Amino acid sequence: MRRAPGKGDLMTDKLILYKEHLNSFLRKITKGFELIAPVRNTYGDTLFEVIPSVDDVGIDLTNRPILSPKRFFMPQVETLFAYRYDKSGYTFKDTADNTPRVIFGLRSCDTRGILFYDLIFQEGLKDKYYLDRRRDTILINLGCNQPGENCFCKSAQSGPFLTYGYDIQLTDLGDRFFVEIGRPRGRELLAGWSYFFRPATQADIDAQYEAVLESEGRFRHRLDFDAAIEKLINQKVDPAIWEELGRRCQNCGGCAYVCPTCYCFNMFDSPCSEKEGERLRTWDACTFAGFSRLAGGYNPRQDKAQRIKRRFYHKLFYDKQKYNIPSCVGCGRCADICFGRIDMLSFIRLICEQKEKSPAPAHRRLGELLLEAGIISQKDLDSAIEKQAATGKPLGVQLVEMGVVDKEAIAGALGCQLKIPGTAKNVED
Amino acid sequence: MNNNVYLPQIAVIKDIKEETGDIKTFTLAFKDRKFKNSFSFRPGQFMMVSVFQAGEVPISISSSPSQPENLQLSIKKAGALTGKIHGHKVGDEIGLRGPYGRSFPVERLIGKNLLFVAGGIGLAPLRSLINYVLNNRTEFGQITILHGARTPSDIPFKHELSRWPKERDVKVLVTVDRPDTGWKGNIGPATALWDKTGISSRDTIAVICGPPVMISFVVMDLLKMGFSEDDIISTLERHMKCGVGKCGHCSIGHQLTCVDGPVFTYREMKELPTDL
Repeated sequence: MRRAPGKGDLMTDKLILYKEHLNSFLRKITKGFELIAPVRNTYGDTLFEVIPSVDDVGIDLTNRPILSPKRFFMPQVETLFAYRYDKSGYTFKDTADNTPRVIFGLRSCDTRGILFYDLIFQEGLKDKYYLDRRRDTILINLGCNQPGENCFCKSAQSGPFLTYGYDIQLTDLGDRFFVEIGRPRGRELLAGWSYFFRPATQADIDAQYEAVLESEGRFRHRLDFDAAIEKLINQKVDPAIWEELGRRCQNCGGCAYVCPTCYCFNMFDSPCSEKEGERLRTWDACTFAGFSRLAGGYNPRQDKAQRIKRRFYHKLFYDKQKYNIPSCVGCGRCADICFGRIDMLSFIRLICEQKEKSPAPAHRRLGELLLEAGIISQKDLDSAIEKQAATGKPLGVQLVEMGVVDKEAIAGALGCQLKIPGTAKNVED
Repeated sequence: MNNNVYLPQIAVIKDIKEETGDIKTFTLAFKDRKFKNSFSFRPGQFMMVSVFQAGEVPISISSSPSQPENLQLSIKKAGALTGKIHGHKVGDEIGLRGPYGRSFPVERLIGKNLLFVAGGIGLAPLRSLINYVLNNRTEFGQITILHGARTPSDIPFKHELSRWPKERDVKVLVTVDRPDTGWKGNIGPATALWDKTGISSRDTIAVICGPPVMISFVVMDLLKMGFSEDDIISTLERHMKCGVGKCGHCSIGHQLTCVDGPVFTYREMKELPTDL
């Protein structure tokens, strides 16, 4: 039997939730919130859905949902306001969505997508519709132990686990979830039902760290975003590539619809009667022919090739230029959906013509592993190697002495390097 | 007041002036007194205009900011929405959001000679600036206005084009592509009129608005005359939906026409990848 859960304050930001308590916990959430979680439907597709009752649906935490949960922040079709005309003129009825929500089981790519939306909708004049929903929604991220077929979030530096941006983050540790509290409202949510949780022990923390390292070693795809962006900046992409991609594009907009960061929208009026109607907003896609067309017919992006080019320049280069981060989170959904192979995965590979690195060679250097895990920077590594030449100390010791990593991180990486599972503790001697 | 940027203010059409066969100038008054009293704008800014049941389009303000209570929009019939507003009558209501966008750099123009070059309806946003400049006449140097239209009947703001030259140090030249029988004025593109203007690049800032082809020919000539890239100012037109930097439609490179423009210097414009 598990230790009996007790009621009380949360003592720490790292907790354990046993899987047998998950449904009870989610049931509690449905009392105060609209709960949204990935559900596998009868067609075998996993999608984020509203869960009215936890016991009536099968929440699927194995498969990455085929759509991001962006529609819970900007619905695919949304009424901004209704207008009505009568003798005294026009009057409006503004819509407001103040439903408190919890999205459970977002993947790191999804959460990063929402963080990107934040940049767009908070900048300058604020978008009330988005920000209201964002304010009232708690994000429970589920780190990915098993990256999917087309996943490349690690290359996009947005996963498989997050270090910020979530309210709560879970890591699957087999019989239990490792629970990290990010933002204060995550703590508030859990504090209400603290009896489901116990503080994580050092062994739990080590196990979570191993899960992260293991997952990071499992990616099939390693893409060089920086090299791809360089090529775009320096106009090194063969124009024939754009032409070819333009020929293969079917203008379906699927890439934009499945993309967690694509935010472009259309606005138009939908008459309900002669004197009444609604102003709607719908998702739009920059690959559609009319996206940039002006009244009178002039279209600065007339050709499909131009629109495809714009799309990749926007996501990889312009957003990096503007927000310091490309707007691709590496979820691979565009690769899942595009039958023309005009997706980010294929595109970056195509322009880099890269020999893909084989996943995790038998013996890998410690520095490389730490670098890849994002624990140290290239600068740290370079300076450690330089110092190492003078001191003759092992690289790990050198890095710890420089204060850029702690012994635990080295232990984890060594464990991975030596392929010894569960060695996080004993390597440090 | 509402905190919702997408919700328009209702404005009543107070006056409609037929400028040409397809351009009308609408004088508008906001219904909400509080909003009306606090409303102000700068030349070069635009409004998002709602014609309910048809949608919303961006339209440059064509009146001077010196009289914000007489807000005017000069609208050319170009599509479904502008077609519908052309059917509106005095007393009808439309929706307005704004003002939006980066304006003409009015402060930079102070003390300079000014050259305005407009093609067709491009005279509308320049009219806002020209009338503002004339309302503050002593702050600016010589003023030269070039306007090109397709035919004599396509010339908007005829009344003002004949009033402006009566002001001190204002020269106005109008030209048409295709004259009719009664036309005694200039024929050909605006760029054929440089000799008649007698302008030089010294202490002069050029402000251009019109179709893209006209802009590029004018800019080419101005650079040859020795204008610096910073002293050539123009506006870009793009498809827009939100007007507030969210919807993505008016993007050019990493810039958005609605918030980073529509006014750009030629130096800025040159850096924009116009097809991307």
